[in-house]
Amino acid sequence: MSQTSAVTPIKHALDDVLEFHWMMDMLQTVDVGIVVMDRDFTIHIWNDFMESHSGLKAADAKGLSLFKVNPSIEPAWFEQKTKSVFDLKIRSFMTWEQRPYLFKFANYRPITGTEDFMYQNVAISPLTSANGKVDFISMMIYDTTDKAAAKKQLEALQVQIDEASELS
Amino acid sequence: MALSVLICDDSLVARKQVAKCLPQDWDVSVHFAKHGEDAIGQLCDGKGQLLLLDLNMPVMDGYQTLETIRTKHIDTNVVVISGDIQPEAHARVKALGAIDFIQKPVDAAMLQAVLHKHQVLQKTEVVDTNLPYAIRDCYQEITNIAMGQAGDHLARIMNVFVKLPIPNVNLIEVSELHMMLNDIEAHDRVSAVCQGFIGGGVSGEALCMLSDSSFGDVAKILNITADVDDQMQLEVLMDAASILIGTCLTGIGQQLDLSLRQGQPVVLGQHRNVSELITANLNKWRRTLAIELSYGIEGYDVQCDLILLFTEDSMVTMNKKLAHLLEDEA
Repeated sequence: MSQTSAVTPIKHALDDVLEFHWMMDMLQTVDVGIVVMDRDFTIHIWNDFMESHSGLKAADAKGLSLFKVNPSIEPAWFEQKTKSVFDLKIRSFMTWEQRPYLFKFANYRPITGTEDFMYQNVAISPLTSANGKVDFISMMIYDTTDKAAAKKQLEALQVQIDEASELS
Repeated sequence: MALSVLICDDSLVARKQVAKCLPQDWDVSVHFAKHGEDAIGQLCDGKGQLLLLDLNMPVMDGYQTLETIRTKHIDTNVVVISGDIQPEAHARVKALGAIDFIQKPVDAAMLQAVLHKHQVLQKTEVVDTNLPYAIRDCYQEITNIAMGQAGDHLARIMNVFVKLPIPNVNLIEVSELHMMLNDIEAHDRVSAVCQGFIGGGVSGEALCMLSDSSFGDVAKILNITADVDDQMQLEVLMDAASILIGTCLTGIGQQLDLSLRQGQPVVLGQHRNVSELITANLNKWRRTLAIELSYGIEGYDVQCDLILLFTEDSMVTMNKKLAHLLEDEA
């Protein structure tokens, strides 16, 4: 590529900005909840998924504490949960089996869905800064309602079968 | 990776003669040993997937060498090359584990026929069925280092002293996995979490098992003050598993220059029979590399087992990476 033209570096910078723009767009539209927080659990990113399901606008959520946005999260418990993410740089997980949800959202399918709320799997990952330290963590929230419903049905069926076989 | 051949004979002439008889087009690295003890040392260093062994030697003779190979479980194919033509000698070395017997003086055609018969010539392409000593040692060392880091992290985050387990590295068959798990089961009832991991051509699954009697103490360590009911047990299990699996995989990944992604953990079952879990979940395996870690925490009654199971395919990649490590050290 020619380096003689003065336009080239500007074009590169513009490309970077554009790329950043569509990448952000992707983070916004992906069907997974994304929340980025710092060590004080102040929210820095609150994506479209979170916005739509919680009804809280990203602009309003930014700068607020996670515990203020969601008072049902016990601070001491959550700090313990994320300690290993900040200090050990490992991911921390919660499954719907353990805790049906972290954020009480309505079922994504309000009409045909069998459950009232959205079951969630949560993964918390470290975000390493340029200095190698973990100053931010990202929390991903996955909708696992279908899985939970299916498992419930299966278990109900198992109970029925067991009862039937006991009677016979 | 070239096959390595170790020629063990006390006579220089005999060693040269045997070396000359090796197939010309064969991609092998040839090593020499002057007696049995020398050979064992080199085998332990990972040299000699094929050992061409003389019987009458000073220091340690051929019979003793075969015995040592057997007691130390060294993975090698031994072909005895000897002037001792007594049928008794022939039978004895076979009984001690040699795959064949060639009479001295050896000639190329004869050696080639024997190698062909035992398919030693093709062996380079096959994933070793038994883990070579050096590779096993390497896996063990890598896990040790990962454990050291993980232990340090755990100790710092939980303010406890973690008794570092000695990793048990093995290639296991499904049936052996059953046995291993049954052994764990014998102690207590357990709950288990499994988590897939993948990255850089390596994939597998981590299995973290906590015996039911450990829950109370683990909850204490993790500062969980609430009553440990079923829901809370799952929480404890998930937290312990996240930390143990995460630290261990990160450590192993760093050393192998791999970044291993972890999937969402899945609960295998609470208070269930382990063998039930296995029959229900793990019926599609044949043979796999297993790294088994048994954790204890000083001052607490905690029994936690972590098993890392790698797929057969992953071993090709991992063995290559380890081979580089071994070469770097040499």
